[in-house]
Amino acid sequence: MPRRLAVIPERCSGCKICELVCSINRFGVNNPKKSAIRVMVIYPHPIIRMPIVCRQCKIAKCMENCPTGAIITRDGIYDIDGEKCISCHQCVISCPFGAIFLHEDIDTPFKCNLCNGNPRCVEACPKNALLFLPEHVLGQAQRMNSVLKYVHMKEVEYVEKGERKVLRYADIEKGKTED
Amino acid sequence: MPTLKKEKRKIKGGYFWKILWVDLEAEEIKEIEFDEAFASKYIGGRGFGAKLVWDNIQKRKVDPLGAENVLVISPGPLAGLFLPASGKTSFVSISPQTGIYGDSSMGGSFGVELKQAGIDGLAIYGKAKRLSYLWIDNNEVKIIGNEKLKGKGSLEAEGIIKEEIRDENIKVATIGVAGENLVRFACVTSDWGRNSGRTGIGAVMGSKNLKAIAVRGTKDLPVYDLPRLEKASKASFNSLKENKNFIFWQQQGLMSVIDYVNEAGVMPTYNFREGVFEHAKKINGYEMLSKYKIGDTSCFACPMACGNVCLVKEGKYRGTVVEGPEYETACMFGPNLGIQNFSAIIKANQVCDELGMDTITAGNIIGVLMEAQENGLISEKDLDGLKLKWGSEDIVFELLHRIAQRKGVGDILAQGSLGIIKRWPQLQPIISQVKGLEQSAYDARIAISMALGYATSDIGAHHTRAWTIAKELEMGMDWPLEKKAELVIYHQTLRPLFDMLGVCRLPWIELGFDENQYAEFYSAVTGIEVTLGQLLEKSNDIYDLTRAINMKYGISRINDYPPERVFTLPMTEGPHAGKILKREDYEAILDIYYQKRGWTKDGLVKEEKIKTFNDPLMSP
Repeated sequence: MPRRLAVIPERCSGCKICELVCSINRFGVNNPKKSAIRVMVIYPHPIIRMPIVCRQCKIAKCMENCPTGAIITRDGIYDIDGEKCISCHQCVISCPFGAIFLHEDIDTPFKCNLCNGNPRCVEACPKNALLFLPEHVLGQAQRMNSVLKYVHMKEVEYVEKGERKVLRYADIEKGKTED
Repeated sequence: MPTLKKEKRKIKGGYFWKILWVDLEAEEIKEIEFDEAFASKYIGGRGFGAKLVWDNIQKRKVDPLGAENVLVISPGPLAGLFLPASGKTSFVSISPQTGIYGDSSMGGSFGVELKQAGIDGLAIYGKAKRLSYLWIDNNEVKIIGNEKLKGKGSLEAEGIIKEEIRDENIKVATIGVAGENLVRFACVTSDWGRNSGRTGIGAVMGSKNLKAIAVRGTKDLPVYDLPRLEKASKASFNSLKENKNFIFWQQQGLMSVIDYVNEAGVMPTYNFREGVFEHAKKINGYEMLSKYKIGDTSCFACPMACGNVCLVKEGKYRGTVVEGPEYETACMFGPNLGIQNFSAIIKANQVCDELGMDTITAGNIIGVLMEAQENGLISEKDLDGLKLKWGSEDIVFELLHRIAQRKGVGDILAQGSLGIIKRWPQLQPIISQVKGLEQSAYDARIAISMALGYATSDIGAHHTRAWTIAKELEMGMDWPLEKKAELVIYHQTLRPLFDMLGVCRLPWIELGFDENQYAEFYSAVTGIEVTLGQLLEKSNDIYDLTRAINMKYGISRINDYPPERVFTLPMTEGPHAGKILKREDYEAILDIYYQKRGWTKDGLVKEEKIKTFNDPLMSP
């Protein structure tokens, strides 16, 4: 089952532990500037901390725009083939999320390859801001939220073991038969 | 890594072996390589800073605000590495606030960026001809004049410089108007609100016409045995995550301390007169969490994320946003001033951050004025006609601006406790300060170890060196003085070691993280096998060194006493009502303390020890 790296910016604290583990796993060095995930911190307009990482787009702009066919895909995971890459940076500027990175010590651009199916940043994140989820689960939180926020819900109060509780429900459509 | 001569040195990681000397006056920049003996003895961070400051005062008479004062910024050998909370860096100088040794560490990731630019220590002296900032882009270093930064707030200036350099991800440490105007307790700010807050380092930058330091560093950090570090660190991160208070700590951070301190009866209340604040529930961590907090922040590589971003969503301070408040700020502007409106505390925090001044000192001295006016110790005329009352928020903001602009009474307050006492000697007994540094937000009357910690801290009455109050309260009052003195010395040795290594003390003090792990980290990084005990010995030497610096400025036993009211003014309420410290007990513990430190009865480091700090160091 294809899995995706999902980011929850509201949980991110900007600690950059994800960047550290990525650089160690990917290049064997302690250098957050060599990681394929980057936490962007914007303040104060707006106030947000958001990890930027490749979304493994199915219709990948980086792949479409690569003039040498250096963007390769295996089991739905995209990576850059260092042999074919001419480092023209076309992929870097075509990625709508800016999730392909450069470093002066490294000849070719680099991007997240999901650590071959076991992304280290996910297990390292102390805030659970990074999740590795089956594709069909993506958007589920938003769907749940949308349901819970449904404005036409009604409430009934009741008492259980001496405690006051509220139960919310959506009543059935009554139609216009009452008129 | 071309800068690291791996084959020749025994220390095989942790350093780029480079101290960057910047002469702002001559606009000269020199790279000086240091040797292994220096790295091994002084480790980094505050250790490097203390040695460079010591060398400087041997050569010349140093006025804290003179061009000759050296400002040292040093991240330490563990800074920026994959281990818990490695985002600390030390700012060290002769303090304009106290006139003696001063240092203050900064969180965030400014130091990490400096380290990644290949710099183990940045030493700045001289005075720029016009308002400037330093731009370090890996090996390229420039002094850039920019008069347009004049009068800009700390965070505002950070934004302007990022825009000018065209890089949102560089790190910028700035001063605000307070620093430019040489307010003695001006701070240095980075990462939108992480401060090197105490001892007035911001004023040192101001005196050098140095508005900011901007850095971009992209180098690999030298680590001898990365797999070993990785193994130790993974276990460390896991042990922190497993702590039962881990999530609670992420939610509240240091704001969680408010309830503890109020229940323990040691909350600074009404200028340290009382220890319990009746409205504490209105300004505690739960209040923050439920109404104000909009995000978590953390320093580099820290899983604990103690930082809180707070926003005021309604009322007259609506739209105010700040990274904070932390415990200290909340107490010094809350209970200490009788303020029970959490929005006002957020506002005060934001105003101080933007003006670039230390919230602890600001809250402390405004509290002094409130008490002084209540007791008729100073007249309304002295205060420019301002009517100060406990809880009067508007006047607090007015005073903060007057201090930063040095207008009217603000000009006196801007000189800190020492200036205030000079102008109004009658206020001496009601100011809580040691050596000119105002006391931070823990009462010391009922815990003699805390009083000793404040009194013998090398920078003045700050809790950073020894925070023993919780342990003493837990152990009970009958614990022998000997044990209490030992505890203070242990804190004063371990806590500064964190500042030498470039890591934060909070994993240890708040979540019980095993301090022995730092020896493992150091060994993995440098390739030199050490025990914690060996590292502590080095930290202990630095404590002697900072004392030796202070002795040059005339510090001895008479300066090692806690604030006067600790002995004279009992609290009227709370669990410790009626208690004060006995002078004879304090004299006794001070004797024990000196003896255990190997200092003389007058609190002096012995001459043969001082000589060991005169080892030569390459400097321009």
